[in-house]
Amino acid sequence: MSVDVMVDKLTISSAQGVILHELSFSLTAAESLTILGHTGAGKSLLVQALMGNLPASLSHRGQLRVAGIDPLASPRRARQLLWGKQVSMLPQEPWHALNPVMKVREQLYEVWRWVRGLPRAEADSLTAQNMHDLDLTDAAAKIPSQLSGGMAQRAAFAMANAAGGQLMLADEPTKGLDASRRHTVIELLQRQQRRGSLLTITHDIDVARALGGRVMVLNQGRMVEQGTADKLLRSPQHPYTQRLLQAQPQHWPAHGSTRELSSEVLVNAENLTVYRGKSRIFDELSLSIQAGEVVGLAGDSGSGKSTLGDVLLGLLPYQQGRLTLAPTLAVGAKLKLYQDPPASFAAGVPLGKLLQELIHRHRLDAAQLSPLMHRLQLLPHLLQRPAEQVSGGELQRLALLRVMLIRPRFIVADEPTSRLDPITAQMITEQLVSYCRQQQCALLLISHDRQLLDKSCDRVVQLTG
Amino acid sequence: MKHILWRRAWQALLMAWSVATLTFILLRSLPGNDMAYRIAAGRYGDDAVSAAAAQAVSQELQLQQSAWLQYGHWLADLLTLNLGNSLVTGAPVVDELSHQLGYTLVLAAAAILVAVLLAIPLGLWSGFKAGGTVDNGILVGSVLVRAQPVFTLGLLLIFMFALGLGWLPVAGFREPQYVVLPALTLGLSLAAIANRVVRNSTVQVLNSAYYEFAQLKGLSPTRAFWRHGLRNVLVPTLAFMGIQLIGLVEGVIMIESLFAWPGIGHGLSHAVFARDIPMLQGTALVMGLLFVLVNTLVDISCYWLDPRSREP
Amino acid sequence: MMLSRKNPFSTWQCIGLALLLCLLIFAVGEWLLYHASPTAQHLSESFQTPNSAAPLGKDQFGRDMLARLAAALRLSFLLALLSVFSAAILGVSAGICAAWRGGWVDSLLNFIVNTVLALPGLVLVLLFAAIVPGSFAMLYVAISLVLWVEYFRLVRAVSKTVINGAPVQASRLFGFGRWYIVKRHIWPAIRANVLSLAAFGAATSIIMLSSVGFVYVGLKPPTAELGLMIVELFPYYSDAPWLLAQPLIVLALLVLGFQLLAGSRS
Repeated sequence: MSVDVMVDKLTISSAQGVILHELSFSLTAAESLTILGHTGAGKSLLVQALMGNLPASLSHRGQLRVAGIDPLASPRRARQLLWGKQVSMLPQEPWHALNPVMKVREQLYEVWRWVRGLPRAEADSLTAQNMHDLDLTDAAAKIPSQLSGGMAQRAAFAMANAAGGQLMLADEPTKGLDASRRHTVIELLQRQQRRGSLLTITHDIDVARALGGRVMVLNQGRMVEQGTADKLLRSPQHPYTQRLLQAQPQHWPAHGSTRELSSEVLVNAENLTVYRGKSRIFDELSLSIQAGEVVGLAGDSGSGKSTLGDVLLGLLPYQQGRLTLAPTLAVGAKLKLYQDPPASFAAGVPLGKLLQELIHRHRLDAAQLSPLMHRLQLLPHLLQRPAEQVSGGELQRLALLRVMLIRPRFIVADEPTSRLDPITAQMITEQLVSYCRQQQCALLLISHDRQLLDKSCDRVVQLTG
Repeated sequence: MKHILWRRAWQALLMAWSVATLTFILLRSLPGNDMAYRIAAGRYGDDAVSAAAAQAVSQELQLQQSAWLQYGHWLADLLTLNLGNSLVTGAPVVDELSHQLGYTLVLAAAAILVAVLLAIPLGLWSGFKAGGTVDNGILVGSVLVRAQPVFTLGLLLIFMFALGLGWLPVAGFREPQYVVLPALTLGLSLAAIANRVVRNSTVQVLNSAYYEFAQLKGLSPTRAFWRHGLRNVLVPTLAFMGIQLIGLVEGVIMIESLFAWPGIGHGLSHAVFARDIPMLQGTALVMGLLFVLVNTLVDISCYWLDPRSREP
Repeated sequence: MMLSRKNPFSTWQCIGLALLLCLLIFAVGEWLLYHASPTAQHLSESFQTPNSAAPLGKDQFGRDMLARLAAALRLSFLLALLSVFSAAILGVSAGICAAWRGGWVDSLLNFIVNTVLALPGLVLVLLFAAIVPGSFAMLYVAISLVLWVEYFRLVRAVSKTVINGAPVQASRLFGFGRWYIVKRHIWPAIRANVLSLAAFGAATSIIMLSSVGFVYVGLKPPTAELGLMIVELFPYYSDAPWLLAQPLIVLALLVLGFQLLAGSRS
């Protein structure tokens, strides 16, 4: 049986204002629709609305139909009949979506046994078959905390689908994942495309491209453009879509031709070997960075990228080899940019105050603050707020500003843009790289995105796990 | 598992050492020959005490030795479980303790039963209706019960059920109904904290991603709760109660004194009052062991209930 | 977020604070304005019901109940204040120290803490009380010893995460010293919990004091102390229930006040 979705002029608003504006679309059997746009509240609310789980603080207008009922107008009991049996949902954080104290097999078996109502033996064999299909046999007797990320993802996929729902909803399925897990998720979604219909909400253009089907682009809660993936992603019409696509690293302009580097070597690592506990993170690694050089460091998560950065900064010990830092790299001359923007600021204190303390500590010139703010397109009123009240993109620019303020000689930037939307990510990466080149500062840029590194760095070092 | 038992054995050892050391300091703090006199009085009766008898006791117990030597003997006696005789009754401490222990165990078990029977249903109920009238009502009740030291709670129950309504005996121990009021008092005071813990972990579970996913998989709300809710509510509750069980042991001391319940806690407070050092050491040791024992039981139940704790 | 910044106290905490302030005003006001001795006996006036001369009546020895209650309150407040203060200072500094230094400092402090924790707090207090009977100082030492452990464990755990976290790493790279890190990172992370522990600790110390008084091994008569007053007045519950009710109510209000102030963080 096919499940149709029909959304007609759906508007969702909170007390602060409209979040989703007059959205209309429909989805029929075996069709696949991807909604593309910035990370933000609007898109995720759509999934909650389709499941009938919209938070009570929000109001909505417009028509909604899933498998013949309006989930927002129906009693809870009627909505629950949709769940699993008609509509399934791929959870965003598979580890959190699985019961932490129950074996994976049990959590799948119960769907066959109790939702499908099959006799024990049949449920048993279908569970085994299911796990075999998704290469989960090894995971059967494990509890979620013992699973790898990819396994947890596949297990959650199996459980979500076992009750037989033909339509799958996936909300930001690749958020915060590294390349190999992203690959797993895309494969799972493609699997779903073969068995039913799929509605995916994502900020990840690669996901939209891999899934094909129809694509809708959303900006600030409004639909700006829609069409087939093929056509829309090749020749976008709306300026916003164009900007979104341009911000993808493969479309970034390549940095200028090879430059003359100063011969001053700031960081020189020879045959470094680092262990954490008993496991070896990396072995006999050599790397040297010159002043003004931008070096990229690529690799999957777990390959030791961040560890290497911390070792070079002197934050972690190394067990063998030799690390020589130029004498100019005193306190405050080697700095780090963090992946998670709030991670580098003390909470609860106005950011301006934190910057003043820094200016005071290093006897800096307070007058350079406002040109830097201007250069990074930051508004002065942000300085009155504490870190937790500033958006991720702005906070990361403030983190960059704080680094620029004290003119370091060596910066390690650990995935500084992976949590940001592509447009902000591009701007921050460009600013960071051009600053380092101008100021003869060495930069080690860590990223899982090889294309981003190829476009921005003088050379790229690839770590293998 | 092995790890749990080792850790608790280590706790028992530390506990025994600190009790022995404190009681030893107490022994040394008694003025001069006072100790010998009091021991002699305990043995031969008040009338028979003479300087000669005190001298004999002093010789026998090596009270003249240097402090370190005495401390060594004191610890050695403890290691061989030689706890000495009560200074008040003259009977061996071990005999007194074995007599009292049964009473204390009955009281503790009854109190835990009362606490579990009250706290789990009330906590689940408030958790499911979080923020509602029932939840707030139970919250106010719990706060008011917790604001009472356990002995005043006991007094209030005595006024109500023993003196006012005359349903239950006031104090002492002759028949089974004597255990009702002490156990109720202790159970209520434990439940006042425990039901909030159950409530909070219920709220946490109900709002968790895995609980939502269980229903999105298609499970009915009832089945989702039995399969995915209950155990996840109980694990943190149990772990937290492990810490709170200190309240059980402290409560036992107060409640036994209030209700003249002839258990270890009663013995302990009497020994402190009479400065009966061997009894003091014995009762404090047993109280400490009881504490270690309940902690061990909690650890073991957590171990069985929570597979995560079994990971290396 | 903004709201909690402007008013850090919830309604319940405000009620608790108000309750404590009333009790404090009563205790101090009596000392300043009402000149009756809490220990002077007038046997001819025993069990006198409340009147204009003695607003709360007189006890079995004809002692003024208003004076006794206020004296007992002052005693409880004093003990709570002293032990909470000492325990907090000791526990917080030891906790930060253990988290920061790690190694043998951490192991040693943990050993001490485990030794204290191996025994239920009340047993420890009783043992101390037995060493010097009737001594306020001994009770203060014993109760502080029981209380500081909580601060230590909490502060150590929180500081450890904070110290290993990115914000502290960033501050260090930027050249800030230890004092700055304690002020900007560690203290803000533990502040709310430490204050809440302090309020709970005050309630605990008051309960402990009255408990040892109640089993007759704490402060000695004729000191006015709540637990002692309850046990002394208990035999007269049927003749003069209003007398026994007074220390019971005051004790409950005092503990309630501190527990409300502590809030729901526990």
